[in-house]
Amino acid sequence: MRAAFSEALVRLAKADPTVLLLTGDHGYALFDDFRRECPAQYINAGIAEQNMVGMAAGLARSGFRPFVYGLAAFIPVRVVEQIKLDVAHDRLPVIFIGDGAGFVYSHLGTSHQSTEDIACTRAIPNLSVYSPADRFEVTACMEMAYHSKSPVYLRMGKSDRGDVHVAVAQASVGSLLQAKPGKSDDIAFIATGALVRTTLDIAADSYPDVSVWSAPFIKPLDNEQVTAICKQHRIIVVLEEHSVLGGLGSAIAEIASEFAPVRILRIGVNDRYSEHCGTYEYLLKEHGLDRLTIELRVHDFLTAN
Amino acid sequence: MTPLSKHFDPKILRKTVLDMAYAGSTVHIGCAFSIIELLAVLYRNHLRYPGNDPLAVDRDYFVLSKGHGVMAQYACLREMGWLKDEAFSAYFADGSDLKGLSDSRVSGLEVTSGSLGHGFSVGVGMAMGAKLRGTDQKTYALVGDGEINEGPIWEGALFASHHQLKNFMVIVDENGFQAMGSTEEVLKLGSIQAKFESFGFEALTLNGHDEAAIDGAITQLWASNSKSPKALIAQTVKGKGVPFMENNNIWHYTRLDSETYAQALAVVAGCVQ
Repeated sequence: MRAAFSEALVRLAKADPTVLLLTGDHGYALFDDFRRECPAQYINAGIAEQNMVGMAAGLARSGFRPFVYGLAAFIPVRVVEQIKLDVAHDRLPVIFIGDGAGFVYSHLGTSHQSTEDIACTRAIPNLSVYSPADRFEVTACMEMAYHSKSPVYLRMGKSDRGDVHVAVAQASVGSLLQAKPGKSDDIAFIATGALVRTTLDIAADSYPDVSVWSAPFIKPLDNEQVTAICKQHRIIVVLEEHSVLGGLGSAIAEIASEFAPVRILRIGVNDRYSEHCGTYEYLLKEHGLDRLTIELRVHDFLTAN
Repeated sequence: MTPLSKHFDPKILRKTVLDMAYAGSTVHIGCAFSIIELLAVLYRNHLRYPGNDPLAVDRDYFVLSKGHGVMAQYACLREMGWLKDEAFSAYFADGSDLKGLSDSRVSGLEVTSGSLGHGFSVGVGMAMGAKLRGTDQKTYALVGDGEINEGPIWEGALFASHHQLKNFMVIVDENGFQAMGSTEEVLKLGSIQAKFESFGFEALTLNGHDEAAIDGAITQLWASNSKSPKALIAQTVKGKGVPFMENNNIWHYTRLDSETYAQALAVVAGCVQ
């Protein structure tokens, strides 16, 4: 997934000399190819994210296409105001890459973990929010972000969970992608990012008739498609490695409540920080996002409803 | 409204500010008055807008980072012919375009500011863009002395110096006041010139109401052979031009009534032809 990201970035930069990569002193090995192939388009802005985003706005105003890279805890969360005022207000074509979203930095603690970034960015007008699940979605998201010529926050979470599609995703902005078909009109799963793979594994073993949708776009979100899925099922389960407040689950519930009221189980990070550190798998378990806990919660919800 | 001057006469600019502040019953008059001469010299002698187009792609960039002084810039945009008198008489009327703080949707205003410490970085980015494209465009960012409390200013200063953005000039409006009091009382700045010099800027300090000195200093800084970004520290008087407003921070917040408007107008406009 990270290789696909790097490849897409290099491809876009080689095709368009106005593409610039700005990093806040992060991405040590990730940008080796970019620095080798496009050295003049690489700017390490230092450990100074607020200035970096302001500068990206200035560069965009003078005709450049900046990609601004940082850890999701910093880009976008640390610089929400710069994104709002300097970039999104005027729909400047700046693409923000928030890497390591969720609990990727499981050993490092709260400062490097990011479970509020979607909530922080969703409410900013003109700003789109993408959340790819695998290498195919990353490639599609990078291309679509570039061609949108408008500000995009691209969230990259745990990147080594494996593919969720078998081919390049044919997507239009806002659409959910079906990762697994299913005949069930009882339940549908909608997930984003790293939890799509987990959801597919759960569905394959325990819910073979249930469809799984991946949401590479949190905003915009295809109202009609979401409405149709909600109308076709009795229960929707939404899964994300992000707070249950303001993320994909909220976005789905907002649409459903207005157009197709349905029971929705939102599985995500409850309103809390990590207590301890450990492996990524450990931290998922601490937050109830490991496979076993998710299966129990789904089972309990189905039993109760 | 006063007839337009082609010469960015500070008296006329101040009268325009008074007229609009009274029409809109608005604040931040002192913030605008301290930068009148700086803007007059910039617009008259330095800023290049090919075809008199505020959006010309090869224009110089003037970023008003201290958005609180925006009425002074509106007055200059009027002189440029980019804002009509109706916009001033209708200032703050429902549905009007001109806001109380800088908004980039107004042609001629490069950034949306008011939250401080933003425009400086945007200006650094513009200067970097001009350098990358190899143009001779110049970028000016005007910041308040209170504004440089903000951290991103110093992040941007490091960057501008490291990347030798000799096409970038920060102008500091050192009027000695910020919202809640004097800069000395709130957060001591020490020597602003020394601070920017220590960040690698070539810096000059002058009287920010002396038009000849401002013009000379800007010319001198651009003529320098060094690769450093430039800093012009303009020592100014908040509320300059109206004695009862000068160095009286209440004019950061106070609105004109008919009496104070008449008094201010008599001082400022009494000299206008």
